Amino acid sequence: MKYDCVVVGSGPAGSITARFAAKTGAKVLIIERRQEVGVPVLCGEGISKKIDEWNMLESRRWIAGDMEGARIYSPDRTCVTLSAEQAGNETGYVVYRDIFDQELARLAARDGAKIMMNTQATDLLKDKDKIKGVKVKHFDEEFEIEADIVVGADGVESKIGKWAGINTTLKPKDLETCAQYTLTNIDCKDAYCDFYLGKQIAPGGYVWVFPKGKDVANVGIGILASLSESGMAKKLLDNFIANEPRLQKGEPIRFLAGAVPVTNPVETTVQDNLLLVGDAARHVDPITGGGLTHCLEGGKIAGETIGMAVEKQQFDQETLSVYETGWKEAFAKKIKRNYMVKEILLDMDDKTLNMLADSLKDVKFDEISTLGLIKALVLKHPTLLMRLRPLMKVSKEV
Amino acid sequence: MGMPKAMVDRKKCLSCGGCISVCPQDALSMEGMKALVEDDKCISCAICIRICPVGAISGEVYS
Ligand SMILES: Cc1cc2nc3c(=O)[nH]c(=O)nc-3n(C[C@H](O)[C@H](O)[C@H](O)COP(=O)(O)OP(=O)(O)OC[C@H]3O[C@@H](n4cnc5c(N)ncnc54)[C@H](O)[C@@H]3O)c2cc1C
Ligand code: SF4
Ligand code: SF4
Repeated sequence: MKYDCVVVGSGPAGSITARFAAKTGAKVLIIERRQEVGVPVLCGEGISKKIDEWNMLESRRWIAGDMEGARIYSPDRTCVTLSAEQAGNETGYVVYRDIFDQELARLAARDGAKIMMNTQATDLLKDKDKIKGVKVKHFDEEFEIEADIVVGADGVESKIGKWAGINTTLKPKDLETCAQYTLTNIDCKDAYCDFYLGKQIAPGGYVWVFPKGKDVANVGIGILASLSESGMAKKLLDNFIANEPRLQKGEPIRFLAGAVPVTNPVETTVQDNLLLVGDAARHVDPITGGGLTHCLEGGKIAGETIGMAVEKQQFDQETLSVYETGWKEAFAKKIKRNYMVKEILLDMDDKTLNMLADSLKDVKFDEISTLGLIKALVLKHPTLLMRLRPLMKVSKEV
Repeated sequence: MGMPKAMVDRKKCLSCGGCISVCPQDALSMEGMKALVEDDKCISCAICIRICPVGAISGEVYS
């Protein structure tokens, strides 16, 4: 059977894309190499409450914790507290990603998408240069799936883009390499997501503690891959936990490794008969490492674009570029700006971070806008002006 | 030539995909939910070894 669209990957980006495409009546198949959607979980599981406004999920079973705000600790443990509205972006709910992903897949199926598990894409199916579907392996069986559109929703390690000639290889300085325990038997004193910065704690990244209940939390670390050595992320995380009184007694109920692209988005995410979404398109905030909201926002645009293309029976790059224009309008500027912020933050030593935290700890922000933040900082530290100037220019536009 | 190729310890690998995303030769891929090196393509640059968060790829070890 030939499909209008085959989606490779049943993560949030894949399921949302499939759902909005299927809604228009398109024949959509999701293929997933795992044997259970969303498992193993590879995520810190924090998500913005923005998603409530989007109405893309129906049940609330995927919510583990409702956050009141976030705290950022500088290397000398100066604490900057952000309320929920301020922290806005990534800390609103802490979720169960397995249930979250399964709920999105369920809704895709309800709207007409087919799902094939234990099925790994091994290459693109091509006729000369034209993409005609994917080659797959289902246990020991190998076969071809024909489709007018192939969607690469295959996450950080994405191969679909590479097979189509799009260079998605990450530089080590644009990847956070991660490890995370879900620890139980700890005291989550309140519903705050905590972030710990410092060269000794997490070079080029941070340690996070995201509560999923009174006595259980995701405790994870991301370090910049260019500063990493073999096994370093896990070792630094173990050190952090051993030295943190409220976590010392914790017992792990889950351990995971992870990888987060912290780069600029892929410039060209559409080709004739092909589209990249989610982590595969590098739609991740380079400061926080959060990608879930972009998966939903971008995936919806992708799905609607596919619906339109199927309606017209036109699958060329120009027709599909409606998706690219859409996601660029929705969040490209923000990602690019935050990529600059990432580069500036990386240049700062622990002393500067402490100084920044000290100046911000009592500031009451109406809203954490980058521009507002920079203004507050420059007032206190005029010497920072030079370093932050490029940022002020883009922040005015975002 | 002569340099050791990267080798994944399948027992330790937690299939995060990080190594695959940074390999400059596209020598890594996921096979049966574990990372696998294609020896012919690997140029022994050791990038994947350094970035593995759990030290599942052989080579020098951080201590
Ligand atoms: C440690 C860690 C912490 C994070 N914390 C947060 C957070 O707190 N908040 C947040 O918003 N984001 C967070 N992220 C990022 C977030 O997890 C990703 O942005 C999100 O999962 C991307 O979704 P996706 O659908 O693009 O890809 P994925 O969720 O990675 O899904 C890709 C799917 O494709 C499948 N697949 C891949 N290749 C193939 C193939 N060849 N054939 C068939 N199937 C294939 C995979 O098995 C997988 O199911 C974190 C990431 C990590 C690693
Ligand atoms: S980086 Fe390490 S844990 Fe992650 S997939 Fe590669 S070998 Fe496995
Ligand atoms: S050593 Fe270099 S070329 Fe070889 S698999 Fe690792 S990253 Fe790829």
